[in-house]
Amino acid sequence: MEIKKTAMAGTLESSDVQIMLSQGSDGITFDLVSDVAKQFDDAIKATITAVLALYGVDNAEVKVVDKGALDMVIKARAMTAVQRALDLADEPNWEVM
Amino acid sequence: MADIIRDINLNNPTQRQYWQTFLSELDIDNFNVKELIGIEKIVGLFDGERLVGTGAIAGKVLKYIAVCDRGATSKGARFNQVMTTLENYMATLGRFHHFVFTKPRYIASFKHIGFGVLAESSLGAILEKGLPDVHSFIRQLPQMGNQTSRIAAVVVNANPFTRGHRYLIEKAATENDFVYVFVVAQDVSLFTTAERQMLVSKGVADLKNVVVVSGGDYMVSYLTFPSYFIHDETTVIDYQTTLDARLFKNIIAPARHITRRYVGSEPLSETTAHYNQTLAREFDDSIELTIVPRLNSQRQVVSARAVREAIATDNRQVWTEMVPETTALFISENITALQTRIRKGQKIDGN
Repeated sequence: MEIKKTAMAGTLESSDVQIMLSQGSDGITFDLVSDVAKQFDDAIKATITAVLALYGVDNAEVKVVDKGALDMVIKARAMTAVQRALDLADEPNWEVM
Repeated sequence: MADIIRDINLNNPTQRQYWQTFLSELDIDNFNVKELIGIEKIVGLFDGERLVGTGAIAGKVLKYIAVCDRGATSKGARFNQVMTTLENYMATLGRFHHFVFTKPRYIASFKHIGFGVLAESSLGAILEKGLPDVHSFIRQLPQMGNQTSRIAAVVVNANPFTRGHRYLIEKAATENDFVYVFVVAQDVSLFTTAERQMLVSKGVADLKNVVVVSGGDYMVSYLTFPSYFIHDETTVIDYQTTLDARLFKNIIAPARHITRRYVGSEPLSETTAHYNQTLAREFDDSIELTIVPRLNSQRQVVSARAVREAIATDNRQVWTEMVPETTALFISENITALQTRIRKGQKIDGN
């Protein structure tokens, strides 16, 4: 599936993450800012990539500002962002959960 | 108690006074009409009744961002809360790309929440966040030549395209392998952005090594750079022109191997003359600046402003002398519409 419009979810507050998704043409590309990037950079990307895969999104530009979010928070924010980006916000895809 | 976000309304004198006092205490005290006029929304972060943070939205620009950390649960928490509120509000308007103009000492705070620096000097910095960003802008610029080509750039507002613009671009085209003409994209002029871009394209259509592109968000009028955090009015123009020059030199030019820039000499406007001086100082050895003497028509220096005045006073002879046939034809066909725009209040004495 292709991203229909740029969308964002999450906040910049402590223990949260802000994720922005936009159309891409070169696979899933990341721009990630995090205080814990050194340790968790790959884990954060893997979580978001997995969520995108569940929705069949192969191309996207992903901008992430992580404020030390736990994995489940990242997953939830990624789902919200992708549903907004695919115009599915009114009909959540419960099965991917 | 958790801090609460509420809107601040500048039309309410009490709120306005309170807001200005808060900002002044944090060393932001420029409340010029010019700075306030474009503001669509101001949010305040309140600890009880005490204002502890604020930020404003003006189009793509976030400004008057300030927080007081006294009594906060953790350093930076209030800043993050204000910025989240502003960004989420922008998202509901479908805006996912924004700019911040701020003091150099706050660069790190903004980088921490995903902003990237476009240009900085000792007086101020421009940062951006979101998409499409400067990398998207550069990707969509056509590619001409290679590292060994001589590539020049000209930036014009062309309101409208005159023989003077033509002369400048033609000179650049003769002296270089390729020329990028960036047309300022802000739609605030007598001629609309689409009209200006179209007239430039038509006016240089015969020059095969010239490509006309939109200046996007990155070649804008430096006069629109917010300066709400600068105390001294006389340094504003220096702050604005320096950032404009550095953005061009460090980000735009290298992306397309541009090593030369052509500008017209400026006998009429002190601001533009200052701009040319700043470009020369900032470009130093990395970009060769050519200041081309302005073209004269029979009576006076060719200038787009004189053309606009001639349109206002219906003085066909003056504009015919100053613009190429392509522009003259457009003016003749649209003279009533243009004069109506002026009558309805469109300013013609700016740029």
